[in-house]
Amino acid sequence: MTRKMHPAVKDLKSDMEKGKLSRREFIRMSTLLGVSAFTATQMAGLGWVKKAFAGNIKRGGTMRVATSLQKIAHPANYSWIAGSNVTRQVAEYLTLTDGKNITHPYLLENWEASDDLKTWTFNLRKGVTFNNGDAFVADDVIFCMNQWLDDKVGSSMKGMIGGYLDTTGIEKVNDHQIKLHLKIPEIAVPEHMFHYPAQILNHRTFEGDFLKAPHGTGPYTMEEYREGEMAIIKARSDYWGKGADGKPLPYLDGMKFIDMGTETAPMIAAMKSGDIDFIDMSDIAGTDIFMALKDDPKAQILTAPTASARVLRMRADMKPFDNEKVRLAIKKCQNHEKILALAQMGQGLEGQDFHVYQLHPEYCEFKTPAYDPQGAKKLLAEAGYPNGIEVNLAVGSGWPDVVRYAEILKQDAIAGGVKINIQTMPNSQYWEKWDQVDFGITPWTHRPLGTMVLNLAYKGDENGKPVAWNETKWVDEEFSALLEKANGTLDVEKRRKIFCDLQRIQYERGTVGIGYWRAVWMVAGANVKGLDGHPNGYMLFNEVSFS
Amino acid sequence: MPDTTKTTPVPADAVETDNTENGSNGAAAEAEKQPGRLRETVSILLSSKTALVGFVIVAFWVGVAVFAPYLTEYSPFDQDWKAPNKGPSAEHILGTDELGRDLWARLIYGARVVLVVMPVNDNVVLPGGTAIWGVVVALIVGAFLGLVSGYKGGWIDEITMRLLDAMMAIPVILLYLIIVAAIGASAVNVVIAITIVGVPGIARLVRSLTLDIKTREYIRAAETRGESAWYIMFVEILPNTRGPIIIDAMLRIGYAIFAMGTLGFLGIGMPPPSPDWGSMVAKGRAFILMGSPWAALWPSLAIASLVVGLNLLADGIREESMRYQ
Repeated sequence: MTRKMHPAVKDLKSDMEKGKLSRREFIRMSTLLGVSAFTATQMAGLGWVKKAFAGNIKRGGTMRVATSLQKIAHPANYSWIAGSNVTRQVAEYLTLTDGKNITHPYLLENWEASDDLKTWTFNLRKGVTFNNGDAFVADDVIFCMNQWLDDKVGSSMKGMIGGYLDTTGIEKVNDHQIKLHLKIPEIAVPEHMFHYPAQILNHRTFEGDFLKAPHGTGPYTMEEYREGEMAIIKARSDYWGKGADGKPLPYLDGMKFIDMGTETAPMIAAMKSGDIDFIDMSDIAGTDIFMALKDDPKAQILTAPTASARVLRMRADMKPFDNEKVRLAIKKCQNHEKILALAQMGQGLEGQDFHVYQLHPEYCEFKTPAYDPQGAKKLLAEAGYPNGIEVNLAVGSGWPDVVRYAEILKQDAIAGGVKINIQTMPNSQYWEKWDQVDFGITPWTHRPLGTMVLNLAYKGDENGKPVAWNETKWVDEEFSALLEKANGTLDVEKRRKIFCDLQRIQYERGTVGIGYWRAVWMVAGANVKGLDGHPNGYMLFNEVSFS
Repeated sequence: MPDTTKTTPVPADAVETDNTENGSNGAAAEAEKQPGRLRETVSILLSSKTALVGFVIVAFWVGVAVFAPYLTEYSPFDQDWKAPNKGPSAEHILGTDELGRDLWARLIYGARVVLVVMPVNDNVVLPGGTAIWGVVVALIVGAFLGLVSGYKGGWIDEITMRLLDAMMAIPVILLYLIIVAAIGASAVNVVIAITIVGVPGIARLVRSLTLDIKTREYIRAAETRGESAWYIMFVEILPNTRGPIIIDAMLRIGYAIFAMGTLGFLGIGMPPPSPDWGSMVAKGRAFILMGSPWAALWPSLAIASLVVGLNLLADGIREESMRYQ
């Protein structure tokens, strides 16, 4: 069967040739539109680098991973990555967005988008079986999508895809093909299928708790998962993916996840002594791990600049933050250069108080807001607080960079008339009330497109109520309308124009301050091969082996 | 009120001690004895090397805590963001922490929080350090419970002691964690935590002393005079328990400093950016492996030296006073 290439790919290529689009962006966008990564790379005039050669691969070995094992049940409900990193070895996704932001087919053979980006055809990979022997079919995908969109499940996927897809828009064509009929055009559908709660589950056996029936299509089987202790996974012999040597993946015999909490010093010591092979840093700050191990010959560190941020968030429905002048005043109390230098040891990019970062393709040039305590005082006076305000700031003490951010802000805000009392609590306690506190700092992970996080956290549902992860309860009509428009705009330049407005509105009226964008790291033993640094800290380990 | 001392026959041997005097006479006698007692204390200090070394260490920390504002030009919160994690230099004699704050300033202001002032909130500060407050409140509550159960005995004793036993059975750090996690992190809550953890020990000590003292003749005398139970407990018995209590309190201040360090280290002590020694260690620790040990080193030494100093002082005084007896 020959597939037609999406007409926009031609425009993208011409944009690239005119220099409006980087080669990397061209590959990213064209792969989203269904072009294979190989073809896209060729079109961009780049050579295709094959990752591994059979002769280099050594099979066997158990990888020991330092991580934090929390309670897990329904993958669609994950709100932290470390848990998904264990089960992603067992259950898989429809697509895979790699460390370079390029989306590849995974459980999909390929996909096609209609010219208007409103109909998406997903062709499922054939010959894939779950680890209990069941075949992977369209019903599994439809079951999972229904779970994501089910309010009772309460998945963050609903915020991600609920704006353009509802359950009536999912059509089963046959056992290996489904069609999605979107309400509005959307380009990032394949990327959304790799959002970390979007693991594909077996519709015949899944009943709400993955650990009770850990049936996935992945290369490993779940042998044991003990919350707060350890998890063990073993390689299965009949995985659909093949290695460079022609035999089924994975190369490793298994993996052992050891709960080392969020304390970094034991992890550093364990890595130095060779007691662990990998540190899962997806949910820990890790600046100190990077600084301590960067020159250690026993460790290798892969760095990725990311859109992962510590978001200074203010509830738009709670006093005094219901006044946008108060919010802007607090943002003006941030010295972004200082915050990046001290909180993140200079490892990342300065934030600009809207949730789009400088490397998002649609980012619109914006001057980093200056530290302006006098301006903050003036705004507070205009808002009816001529004597300043006193507020409590909730922070998780397990993220040292977050605590540093809070301490810097407290000190610098005094001159702006804002007195901040820092209230520290264990991270787990923070996660219990992250969307309830009036003022706090919430870690948000990286997302490759500017629109993705905006759709997740800064808009309302069809009834105008804040979506599940809209932690600041900020719903702005103009912003939402522009965001809808941006979601359906393929042309990057056009989308950038819309983003100029989105960024400006979020800076002026929005509910978040962003001090800095973090660089993230993957830290592994020097003998680990085949690693691919990922901005989300996703452990894509199918082709990882020991040397 | 009838003067019972005049109408009640008093056994002759009981009259010999100060404790048979009524309150005001007793206080006057105490006042007369002050210079003698001071001399006695000084001579104990001088005659015991252990006590002297302890005293010098403690006096050093109390001194720098009291005069902290005059001993540094920096505030403990000033951030010199161009110079984080620096070692000792002429500008910053102990170096700077991860936010470029002067470590000497943070250390001595930290001592202030422990020994000299208790910040109730950012605007209200009480005299008396947080550790001292913790121990004093624990002493008041513990002594009260110990006195009542020791003197009254019976079911009051049984119930109080069993409840306190139950509290003692819980590991101390776990108890601190539970308390502070439940009521939140602040200086007042640290005092509450130190109190709750300290009360059972003090109550036990006071109870055992009370059990001993209440068999003495002068207590019989007071009872025969018709004094109220409260009078006997607080005027006759309590002053006579002071020796062991003072030694115990000194050790307890050491424990309280340790407790503050522990809470701070676990991230549930004083909220940042308070120059709390424990949280300074916890934060500085991350930079040891990066080659900047200073931020963790100084507060660790401070906690260790102050606790050792208090222990030496208490040990020295106990040994000397036992020798005197």
